[in-house]
Amino acid sequence: MSLSPSRLVLISGGRLEFQHEGFVVMLTMTIWWLAILLEAALLIRGIQEKLVRRFPIFYSYILFVFVEEFIRFTVYRWLSSRYSQVYWATQFLSLVIGSAVIFEIYRVGLRSFPGTARMARYLLLIVFGAVFAKTLANPSGGLFWWFAERSLMLERNLRIVQGLAILSLVLLFLWYAIPFGKNLKGILFGYGLFIAMSIVQLTLSDTWGDIRLFWPFVQPVSYLLVLGLWATALWSAEPVPEGKRATQLEDDYEVLVASTRTQLRRAFARLGWTARL
Amino acid sequence: MMPTAIFVAVAILLVLFLLLITKRKEVEEQESDQATAATPSDCRDALQRPELVLRIFSREDREFVLQMRSPRLQQIYQEERRKVALHWVRKTSREVSRIMHTHRLMARLSRNLDVVAEVKLLWQYLELRFICGLLVLLIEALGPHALHDLASYAGELSQLIGRTLPDAAAASRVTSSENPGTL
Repeated sequence: MSLSPSRLVLISGGRLEFQHEGFVVMLTMTIWWLAILLEAALLIRGIQEKLVRRFPIFYSYILFVFVEEFIRFTVYRWLSSRYSQVYWATQFLSLVIGSAVIFEIYRVGLRSFPGTARMARYLLLIVFGAVFAKTLANPSGGLFWWFAERSLMLERNLRIVQGLAILSLVLLFLWYAIPFGKNLKGILFGYGLFIAMSIVQLTLSDTWGDIRLFWPFVQPVSYLLVLGLWATALWSAEPVPEGKRATQLEDDYEVLVASTRTQLRRAFARLGWTARL
Repeated sequence: MMPTAIFVAVAILLVLFLLLITKRKEVEEQESDQATAATPSDCRDALQRPELVLRIFSREDREFVLQMRSPRLQQIYQEERRKVALHWVRKTSREVSRIMHTHRLMARLSRNLDVVAEVKLLWQYLELRFICGLLVLLIEALGPHALHDLASYAGELSQLIGRTLPDAAAASRVTSSENPGTL
């Protein structure tokens, strides 16, 4: 390890400087290589099981992260002075592709459920609208400090927007009992978990002094966990459960709403009697 | 500090709901087959008969037991009626959930889903669940006739206030004339 740079830079980026190498650097390399191996396994299984066709954006994301790891590793090893720039450039690209993964979850998950898809579009519009309005209303202290703040802050803010979008989708999936199948559930759970951990890490990195020493290890290890989850969920292709088409339903939606409303009103009335009797 | 707490809360909420998704059984998801098999016109009123409510929360039974002047009988009556009332409220709450569940499973397939109508129904549903929860608490704490007793008490109180209000107004007029500087 004589060529190892003095700075320890994990997958999460150049946020920490270590005086000592040895075990820590070895651990970093192990995590790094394990991640690359898992990503390769995911890609190979995706091609073998033809899951690449079903989830093209997700596999593009994995391919991008896979290539990105090699680029980062190469730069880190032989051009460490440029590492920070390469890290942030690739990180933001992966953030953009990651956002497309959320769109894919929405597209694949709600393909057979046009009603819920319509609801999701409105909900996402509200989420993004609220974020945008907050930014406009308070440009200096809003959610995006585009130019004034550091990249770390920008990444955190974008992760929060992603987190809110996923949270909205998850709530809708739960409310309308949308069936996923193992593959999509794995993608959603893994990506959601990754975003949640990123938000916590990026939010607390400035606040908690000593804990910063451990966070750079927590994130790569948790990323490995996410890759493990994806590898398990996507090892074999499983059919996506589809909602049965109710041909009559399109015309009957208003009847359905009226019927539900009537039944709820009756319940209201009966509960009201308990006070009036 | 405030944004930090909000951001961390968003992350925790996200993880919790993701865990809920993984815990959710596919059985629930497949219930849609049954729901879609039924047309809206098949959705009959699943709530219990109104006579049942009239009987459970009726004052006649209580008055009859009170006339017996037996503390033991009154105690037994209170305990039994509380159990029956609680069972009724919980069953109603479950029925309300079932009505909404059936609605959701059918609405998710509709191309012309009305977002405003869905939000209104959700609000109605939440109100009903809240009322059921409140009723359970009241019946647990004060007995099956709690709401009626509270309503009667409020009525009596308002009548009492109504009766005393002219006197109070007159008294305040007297006080203000004695102390012109005070309001």
